[in-house]
Amino acid sequence: MTSARALSGDIILECRDLSVGYDKPVLEHIDLTIARGEIVALLGGSGCGKSTLLRTIIGLLPPLAGEVIVFGQSMYALAPDERNRLLRRTGTAFQQDALFGSMTLEDNVALPLRELTQLPVAVIREMTRMRLALVGLPGLEHRMPGAISGGQRKRAALARASILDPELVFCDEPSAGLDPVVAAGIDETLLTFRAALGATLVIVTHELDSIRKLADRAVMFGHGAIRAVGTVDELARDPDPEIFGFFHRVADRSAATTSAASAS
Amino acid sequence: MPSPATTVQREGHSAVVHLRGDLVVTSARGLYATLRGLARRRDLTKLVLDFSAAGRLDSSGAAVLALLGRQLQRQRKSLELTGLTAQHRAVMELSPERAAEPAEAVAVAGTLEQLGEHVLELGTGVRALAKLVADTVRQLVAVVLRRSRIPAGAVRHHLAVMGVDAIFIVALLSFLTGMTMAFQGAVQLQRFGAGVYVADMIGMSMVRELVPLMTAVIITGRTGAAIAAELGTMQVRSEIDALATMGIDPIRFLIVPRMLAITVIGPALTLIGIFIGIVGGMVVAAAVLDMPAVTFWARIVERVTLLDFAHGVGKSLVFAWIIGFAGSYLGLRANGDASSVGNATTRTVVVSVFFIVLVDAVFATIATLLRQR
Repeated sequence: MTSARALSGDIILECRDLSVGYDKPVLEHIDLTIARGEIVALLGGSGCGKSTLLRTIIGLLPPLAGEVIVFGQSMYALAPDERNRLLRRTGTAFQQDALFGSMTLEDNVALPLRELTQLPVAVIREMTRMRLALVGLPGLEHRMPGAISGGQRKRAALARASILDPELVFCDEPSAGLDPVVAAGIDETLLTFRAALGATLVIVTHELDSIRKLADRAVMFGHGAIRAVGTVDELARDPDPEIFGFFHRVADRSAATTSAASAS
Repeated sequence: MPSPATTVQREGHSAVVHLRGDLVVTSARGLYATLRGLARRRDLTKLVLDFSAAGRLDSSGAAVLALLGRQLQRQRKSLELTGLTAQHRAVMELSPERAAEPAEAVAVAGTLEQLGEHVLELGTGVRALAKLVADTVRQLVAVVLRRSRIPAGAVRHHLAVMGVDAIFIVALLSFLTGMTMAFQGAVQLQRFGAGVYVADMIGMSMVRELVPLMTAVIITGRTGAAIAAELGTMQVRSEIDALATMGIDPIRFLIVPRMLAITVIGPALTLIGIFIGIVGGMVVAAAVLDMPAVTFWARIVERVTLLDFAHGVGKSLVFAWIIGFAGSYLGLRANGDASSVGNATTRTVVVSVFFIVLVDAVFATIATLLRQR
């Protein structure tokens, strides 16, 4: 199986012997590197710790051990101001959109621009309009988050996460619970971000279609550690019953073993 | 603010702008000012932007170009982009054509329209409140007649939280108010040799006016705000919808126990407050006026009638209903976001205090008119 090191290029994110969790570790001894421009999917069953790992990587949950190195700097060794500067070069779209319910979509998306840049009002408004149109929400600038659908809220969250053209974008379940057309639209948008901005994407997802369409590499978690790392095709052919089961939607381990045997 | 270096070359009615450096967030402000200035010039009909020496372009640069394009289009001038690299073109892809469509306009209502909307809203609000009161009474009757029941232990829980936990603060404030009134009254009454009447004054003011009002304000701050916040949060988290879909009446499940509890604790806390307030006055009368406690008490018993008690306690019952219904109504009206819960809480306090003072004035007026007959 391919190592957890990035294939090539300059390293944008690195986890060194990382252990994450709340009271006790959920994932331990995670060594992972991600290169600039890569799209990496973090996979695993519910409760395997991939979302906890993401919280640690984006600076919300200090690790129990090890280091998170983003843009060459150790995230948790930095002073709060420096860590904020580092985080401004990243964008995160949360699983529960996390839009501010008391603000319009325009205000939500424009918030990072208003708070962190000196851009003129007209340019901020234009950027917001462009980004909302890009994610498929043209003309909804004045709507409140409570007045749009779940799929639209997810797309608005993606617009907000990407408004500062981040070099590194984290998406937690970007297309979960959406209809296939909208989910495909989100996948297209993520690919456009990478093409236009050279953004690196780290995606936590369960959606096999998305993984196949987007991911250059996938990291499979299970039993408190990395189970496998590789391209999606490599992982799909993995003889390990759990990994095979994940990729072929087989819940029963013995059935998975049989299928894996026949496939190999 | 750094601006990308630009060199402008005039060619008749057109200008060629040679861009150098990165066209990114940090330089967009300067770039926007430069290009907008050029676009405004009347002697120019065409603007050519030469990107051959330009660095990286980001979304802010793309937004500046989109704004410039529209400005020139409005003025019937043309824009030409030359020397674009693949990166420039890719970023411009982030600006789809449909972005140029203006967002649906937000209609701003005039003063008269706003006034009309407020009146309509008020009418809707009054109807909704009346429905809530009617539903609560209906459910209450059903519970009393044992046709339906409320969650086991709910009333006891609310009695403890709304009532027992509030006894200390109500008692302390009543005691201090009784003392203050006695101090103030003693000084004034002694000047006329009428110090002994301080007991009458304390008794009447505590029983009829001060304690019912003060206790209601305390209940508003503690209980009314808590009811609104609790129900508001439940509404925002769709918990009330969940009850309804389970076939459980939210009014019976949530409002009736709270209203039953507040109906008891309003008058109960008022009675406790009245007693402690009188004790406060008694302590000061004994210390300052050398008035024996027995004399003080005897004057109170002689002066304060059962009707005065009925006035004070009856008022506290109405105040409790005002607080309970205001908290319930405004809490249930919360929708969607976190700020609506905050609004519901604040409005509960303001609305409750307003109506408490209003009803207090009505009570005082009616009592005076009845006494004159």
